[in-house]
Amino acid sequence: MFVRVNSASGLPLYLQVESQIKHAVAAGALKQGDALPSVRKMASDLRINPNTVARAYQDLERDGLIRTVPGGGTYVADHVPGLLKTEKMKRLRPYAMQLAVEGTHLRLSPDEIVKLVEDSLDELGVKP
Amino acid sequence: MTEYAITTAQLAKIYPGVRAVDGLDLRVPRGSIYGFLGRNGAGKTTTIRMLMCLASPTHGSASILGLQWPADRLAILQRVGYLSEKKLLFEAMTGRDLMRFNRPYFPRWSDEAAKRYAERLEIPMDRAFRKLSQGNRTKLCLLLALAQGAELLILDEPTSGLDPVVMDQLLKVLIEDYAGEGRTIFLSSHNLAEVEKVADWVGIIHQGKLLLEAPLEEIRADFRRVAASGNNLPAQPKAQIFSVASSGSFTEYFVRNDAERFAAGLRAQGAAVLETSPLNLEQVFLQLVKKEEPCISGNIGATPAAVSSSI
Repeated sequence: MFVRVNSASGLPLYLQVESQIKHAVAAGALKQGDALPSVRKMASDLRINPNTVARAYQDLERDGLIRTVPGGGTYVADHVPGLLKTEKMKRLRPYAMQLAVEGTHLRLSPDEIVKLVEDSLDELGVKP
Repeated sequence: MTEYAITTAQLAKIYPGVRAVDGLDLRVPRGSIYGFLGRNGAGKTTTIRMLMCLASPTHGSASILGLQWPADRLAILQRVGYLSEKKLLFEAMTGRDLMRFNRPYFPRWSDEAAKRYAERLEIPMDRAFRKLSQGNRTKLCLLLALAQGAELLILDEPTSGLDPVVMDQLLKVLIEDYAGEGRTIFLSSHNLAEVEKVADWVGIIHQGKLLLEAPLEEIRADFRRVAASGNNLPAQPKAQIFSVASSGSFTEYFVRNDAERFAAGLRAQGAAVLETSPLNLEQVFLQLVKKEEPCISGNIGATPAAVSSSI
């Protein structure tokens, strides 16, 4: 199982599950149509409450990243979520702000901060 | 079928000079994993013993699995798995003896499950109880509670004395076999990190009173630490502030809802808000019970009693 949670991190557990699944999809570790473990399997593997996993799955489904077949499991969706551009930007803005704050605090130049993002995109294999 | 596995109304146990449990109104939703938290002597075990009909309340009432309490005691005991704080069984009996002894009392007993738990939790079943280590005694008590096929498990510090590997296995067993099946787990614990992972409801008891009962998700979403710097900032807990600490121009607030609006209010007063951060369960617990006086009463949204801000 690729998901790991850390209860001491301060980040809600369902968000940790969500972001790791998103990451796995973005990085290609999970491909379209791949099955995800059942809520109970994921919960018992991670020793967390099943409702926590269910919440993460609900959010991911709402975002269009996964789809649930009633009685037949959960799968990575075939199409990337078709959010409006403004909505996409809005979701990402807090992360950008955090990066900007931390980067400035560490006295990195704006170019260096942008370079970090570009490097991360490179690592994921995303071409401009 | 009722919505709650356990409810109590003004449940109290008063010993001469000690109000061990002082008007408890618990609501434990069916299907939840409910973490019952409190310091030593807060009243957790007394509450649990009353629920299991092992101690009679001074006043108050309760309902368990929709049954009359304590009138339906027999039905309650058949349908509720219980792990006592002391973890004591007949000393001369082995695990196998105890299985044979317990089986006839519980209509939904499963030998197959008992065998599985013995393997999963690594319990020596052929050794007399008195010869078992404390950890193995706890595990054997748990096995007996789990194998009876209970709809509700009431566990008094189930993980105390267990090694990390067994604790991990126990959590896996509880989640696999109980959670999500409509069965309810009510457990007391001092291990807040573990409760934070497995529980979805939390009740905090302090000096016999319930300080807080809420879904863990709500606590995570609503409770915030707001660090601010400025002069003449409010220094008393009031409204949504349940704890304040000041040193110099720096003030640390613990608020339980509307943190954003609260921070905006501080800014309007000319303060600089340095950080608004979520709290983990341990921080919430410490802020709630560290002082002498209770500083929050009832559920989220209730008005807290004014208490001194000196720390």
